[in-house]
Amino acid sequence: MKSLFHTFPRTPLLVALLVVLPAITARAQDPRIQLTHLDHLATRASETVDLNFDERLILAAAKIFNDKDEDEAQIKKLITGLKGVYVKSFEFENDNEYSSADVDSIRSQLREPSWTRLVNVKSKKDGNVEVYISLTGSQVNGLTVISAEARELTIVNIVGPVDLEKLAKLEGKLGIPELGVESTKPKTKNEQ
Amino acid sequence: MNEEYLWDKSGEPDPEIQHLEDILGGLRYQPKPLELPTDIQPHRRNRYLPLLAIAATLLIALLAGVVWLRLQTHAPAQKLEAVNEQPSVPSSSPSPEAVVPNKPEKVVQQSIQPRHRELVASNVRHRTQPAAAPSKEALLAKEQLMSALRIASEKLNLAQRKAQGPTPNQIRNQHKIG
Repeated sequence: MKSLFHTFPRTPLLVALLVVLPAITARAQDPRIQLTHLDHLATRASETVDLNFDERLILAAAKIFNDKDEDEAQIKKLITGLKGVYVKSFEFENDNEYSSADVDSIRSQLREPSWTRLVNVKSKKDGNVEVYISLTGSQVNGLTVISAEARELTIVNIVGPVDLEKLAKLEGKLGIPELGVESTKPKTKNEQ
Repeated sequence: MNEEYLWDKSGEPDPEIQHLEDILGGLRYQPKPLELPTDIQPHRRNRYLPLLAIAATLLIALLAGVVWLRLQTHAPAQKLEAVNEQPSVPSSSPSPEAVVPNKPEKVVQQSIQPRHRELVASNVRHRTQPAAAPSKEALLAKEQLMSALRIASEKLNLAQRKAQGPTPNQIRNQHKIG
């Protein structure tokens, strides 16, 4: 070993780099975002929802989903493999209780190339909605939704492989109310 | 002086040379193993020492990993076990409203009591039981996870609808949730 270090005097440096670099790279690709910047809004909000689920809690919850129930089985499949689900939502009594800097503190963490903005809808009346995804190859390994309305600010951050289609279809299952558009089934003659 | 004798020991030997040969003959090379003095111990360098050091380091790292993993898996199990021992908790699935209040405080109180430490041993036995009713904490985690997924799904669909633009059906069928 000693001769190895004598032969290659930079070996310790290389070993240190081999240990540190993957950790730094993994940290840089971590699709979890920091939401603690928004904690101060809780004092102004009339209602605050703060849900933090790391992998351990998700696994604990997944164990009690009933595989025989079709809906629960689908949800269990959806959450399997997730590393974290983090939600912060603030509802305010009045308009303009949060600033654009608050939203920017989240948005600044969602930079390319780690993150790609999928949807960006701006509306003075209904507020803004942005959807970001983090991709590893063709696999979505992170999702962040920023919903900034006049009296409500909601941030959703899901870490891990997430199926967007299945997640979107979750509305209406297991008591989750459905907001979606009425399905446009062709009406029969009797119904007309 | 006969040079042939010096060359290949043929011919007549020179007495002077023979005398020198007798004197120096004792110092001639003898093919025999080296004999070290008994009071000198040869310094034997252990070639396996670096390998042993590496093996020991890997072993310690492995042990540390196992201990860490066990701590990680035991910590939530202890909490779940502590909650299960509350007499007021029904075995069937309780309503979310009954589950939510003061639950984290119960967990903390249980975890700091000395009696709870003994549950580590019994906890292993309990975990091997095939069917155990879901604990309050797991049910609470499930409920809250469902809430988180509900919000995520709702906001995702909201973004999708806004991106697609309003339709007459959409406006008519929207209703407030919660």
